[in-house]
Amino acid sequence: MATLMIKNLHATVDGKEILKGVDLTIKQGETVALLGPNGHGKSTLLNVIIGHPRYQVTAGSIYFDDIDILTLSVDQRAKLGLFFAMQNPVEIPGVINSDFLRAAVNTHKEKPISTYNFYKILDQATKELKMPFDLATRSLNEGFSGGEKKRNEILQLLLLEPKIALLDEIDSGLDVDAMQTVADVIKKEQAKGMGFLVISHYARLFELIKPTRAVVLINGKIVLDGDESLIRRIDQTGYEFIKTELGIDVEKEDVNMNKVSIGSCGIKDMVR
Amino acid sequence: MNAFLLHQEIDFTNCLSIILDCQNVDKPKITVEKGTHKYILVANFHAGCEMEITVEENSILSLSFLTSDNIDNSKITANLQKNAQLQAYFADFSLSKEKINVVINLRGDNAMAYWHLASLAANDDHKEFDVNIYHFGKNTSAISDNYGVCKDRSKLIFSGCSSINKGSHGSMTRQNAKIMVFDQDCDAIARPLLKIDEKDIEASHGAVVGKIPDEHLFYLTSRGLSDFEAKKLITFGYLKPIIKGFKEKNIQDQIVDLIERRM
Repeated sequence: MATLMIKNLHATVDGKEILKGVDLTIKQGETVALLGPNGHGKSTLLNVIIGHPRYQVTAGSIYFDDIDILTLSVDQRAKLGLFFAMQNPVEIPGVINSDFLRAAVNTHKEKPISTYNFYKILDQATKELKMPFDLATRSLNEGFSGGEKKRNEILQLLLLEPKIALLDEIDSGLDVDAMQTVADVIKKEQAKGMGFLVISHYARLFELIKPTRAVVLINGKIVLDGDESLIRRIDQTGYEFIKTELGIDVEKEDVNMNKVSIGSCGIKDMVR
Repeated sequence: MNAFLLHQEIDFTNCLSIILDCQNVDKPKITVEKGTHKYILVANFHAGCEMEITVEENSILSLSFLTSDNIDNSKITANLQKNAQLQAYFADFSLSKEKINVVINLRGDNAMAYWHLASLAANDDHKEFDVNIYHFGKNTSAISDNYGVCKDRSKLIFSGCSSINKGSHGSMTRQNAKIMVFDQDCDAIARPLLKIDEKDIEASHGAVVGKIPDEHLFYLTSRGLSDFEAKKLITFGYLKPIIKGFKEKNIQDQIVDLIERRM
């Protein structure tokens, strides 16, 4: 069973420190809900695990079993068995979805998959996700609706069969039926032993996929590690109890406000 | 009906297919007679070659070029009469220093043309494609799509003018130039130009020159593709659509093979 072990991880983006000492271990077969207010480092953590070049690790370590993955390139991390379903999958015009999927599948195999076998697994996976097959023949994510993009992420998860999948708000943009379909696929993969680290702001997805653990990331650190009841509590009461019970001040997200324009609007109102 | 239809689909059914070998011909001439539809695959288009094309009234010409030799100082001139249609696909995988001049004259009313270029410049190649479209007839329409990939120390230039002349009202013209730059030492220029001398027309142009967005590379590599494989896939996405202009499966395979080898 593969284990992803993160120790004292510090990371910056554009010179600003976002992760300030994250400690977290995820084992294959576990589903961990990653909770926390906006802007506290949840997506940053997932991006750092997979190796997004925009994020710099300044201290700490990430091991996948006994391999120090911080020394590996993004594709090497994926080949080890990590998968990152993105919050906003990019559109790549001209790259045909099925060409990309086949190339991606082949990178995980010693011998290239035959055309027949590829289309067989693709057909099966699109049916499982209730996706129209023609999405596979279109440019990668181009012109896809928000829900189609998210399903295309899960389609890749099905085809690549990672050991541990990182899901960043996979439920945003999905309608109720689509969320149920995606949750059914996740549950099937859980039963097969895939591990998950899941970010979501809504308890609905977690109710469906039933995480084995929940952790809370605040101010760039994991401050709470508990069971599923933690999700329900946060869904009902928010993060206020973190301050009252743990004595941790929850930093407010930086919001860029154009004070000048607000000021000038106010002046116009006064003149009228 | 306008050139957007020519852009979307090619109907090879009921057309006469011809292979035109230009090996020993410096000034080949093509005429498509009234009311006919011809598909012509041009072979051995070479340096200094000057091709002259006439598409007569109510006729259609689907014209495809595949070049892998030097085509420097070559020229293609096409004259389209009333209701004539031209679909031209130019797949350029030559290794050379070259300048190619293309002139499409939409002389008759309702004439329409679609031009699609895919060019790959590598090593020390220096290529310039000058594609000019002149609208003379009323309600004429044209789309010029030019796609390029520029790598190593090569230089790739897309220039040309779409000109809407007096009397060609109701016409539509569109120029599109996109070049993807792979390496620090290569150079790419896209210079689209519009000249408008008539009212009641539609004209637009777009040019993009740039490297592969980092986010695209990140997305593809996060699925296990190496940097090289990701760039190759994106290059295919840029250049491969040209194959729809070729009727022959073996030529389509040859183009895919050329892209692969030149990468």
